[in-house]
Amino acid sequence: MEYQRYGECGIRIIFGKTIDPEVNSQVINYYGYLKAKDIKGVIEIVPSFNTCLIVFDNTEIEYQSLLQYLKGLEIEATEPVDRETHIHDIPVRYGGEYGPDMESVSSYTGLSEKEIIQIHTSTVYTVYTIGFIPGFPYLGALDKRLFVPRLATPRTSVPAGSVGLAQLQTGIYTFESPGGWQVIGRTDMRLFDHTKPPYSILKTGDRVRFIPL
Amino acid sequence: MIEIINPGLQSIIVDNGRYGFSDIGVPASPALDGFAYKALNYLTGHQNPSPVIEAIGPMFSLVFHKDMTFAITGAWVEGILDDRPFTSWQSIRVKKGSVIKIKRVNSGFRYYLGFSGLMDIEKIMGSYTTNMECHFGGYEGRPLKKGDIIRFRDIKDTVEKSIDRDAIPNMTPPHVLRVIDGPEKDFFREDSVGIFFGATYKVSTKSNRIGIRFSGPTVEFKEGVEKSIISEGILPGTIQVPGDGMPLILLHERTVGGYARLGVIARIDQDMLAHLKPGDDLVFQRVSVEEAEKIWIERMKKIKNLLKT
Repeated sequence: MEYQRYGECGIRIIFGKTIDPEVNSQVINYYGYLKAKDIKGVIEIVPSFNTCLIVFDNTEIEYQSLLQYLKGLEIEATEPVDRETHIHDIPVRYGGEYGPDMESVSSYTGLSEKEIIQIHTSTVYTVYTIGFIPGFPYLGALDKRLFVPRLATPRTSVPAGSVGLAQLQTGIYTFESPGGWQVIGRTDMRLFDHTKPPYSILKTGDRVRFIPL
Repeated sequence: MIEIINPGLQSIIVDNGRYGFSDIGVPASPALDGFAYKALNYLTGHQNPSPVIEAIGPMFSLVFHKDMTFAITGAWVEGILDDRPFTSWQSIRVKKGSVIKIKRVNSGFRYYLGFSGLMDIEKIMGSYTTNMECHFGGYEGRPLKKGDIIRFRDIKDTVEKSIDRDAIPNMTPPHVLRVIDGPEKDFFREDSVGIFFGATYKVSTKSNRIGIRFSGPTVEFKEGVEKSIISEGILPGTIQVPGDGMPLILLHERTVGGYARLGVIARIDQDMLAHLKPGDDLVFQRVSVEEAEKIWIERMKKIKNLLKT
């Protein structure tokens, strides 16, 4: 584990340099431990693929004392825990009007639409992180056969519910938004609801399976 | 209550931000000028962070349907209250039926309107602020429109106050922004980073509440370096460099990002990000994190004293 100050009010905790389920699992355990600590002066804890970002208020807690505190917790915070993992089934309509990039994914990968759907629905994915819009899950690991680049020119608008691919990740647009992932299907499931806790159906560390309709 | 006659170029309801939900991708979306926001709460007699209107451009106009006190902070405006001129950074008592209209914005870009009552709107996820992309918070999750009515609870009788001119930052361009090295600073060629810190950039019309874009010299990646990172948590004020080498400043609407981070705008200069308008000149100046932090903490102490009630 490495600690790096980021700006005046951030500490990056780096668990590894690559996208790796084992590294991500450490991040998620650490995040859960730290969140429960409810440290005074810590405003946000953002778990992602291989790092955890701690955002603090430096008028409430000094960087050095927070850093020493975090280092002191390190052993306990990184002990493996048995997490209850929830598997979410997400129904998806693939191709056609729901998956405008299905054809381009097919020609890039050399797979038929049927094969793409079969491969995409046969993995139980892990939510590696959530962002860039509320509730948007970055899911991995995607089967290497479905590797596609991001669109050269991102769309100005991707409909809510769109299921996309980008490199070795798959994700779900929880809101209509601009975006560059290659869209192969759409779900009607509402993954974010600002009116009631826990707001986001998915949490980092949850498991997700796509069900073809 | 008040009624919007003209929302100007864009006006939304904001507060000090929606915090604690970065882990599910929910951004803070606060008032972009933090000092202006605090000063406004002070001028309108609020002890707790209360919702206010963040507006841009001239033509903004509203009518008061109740006696109350209001103030404008942030950009310096030329306003008309019924038939007398007024400006920013002082609270003014108004009578039912009074109309205010913003004629011109003289320096700065965003201005904030606050009132001596608590807006009767719902808190969403702990905050009144508007998340415009996801359409929640604020006024029905959207910018204000002509005819919108905002009701108030607990309208207090507040004395007229003003903020010392010396305490108000200069918002006229060229803007000098101090920058702390970012996590991926070493991804970039040193000569190119040297140019970045000497050059004058021009704020682009493509800027919005998500980020500020500008034009000027690109920043070159070192040979063989990955042009993106594995997406991870990002701080507001981060200067990201996409593959095309043209840096941009991220504001408060994103929680994770995948572009290399050249630097972070020092907090002392982050309020100024609210006032960068298309066409303004912009210069970046390197600062150490220790120096930036020292200046910030001193400034916070000063503000606390200034806004003591």
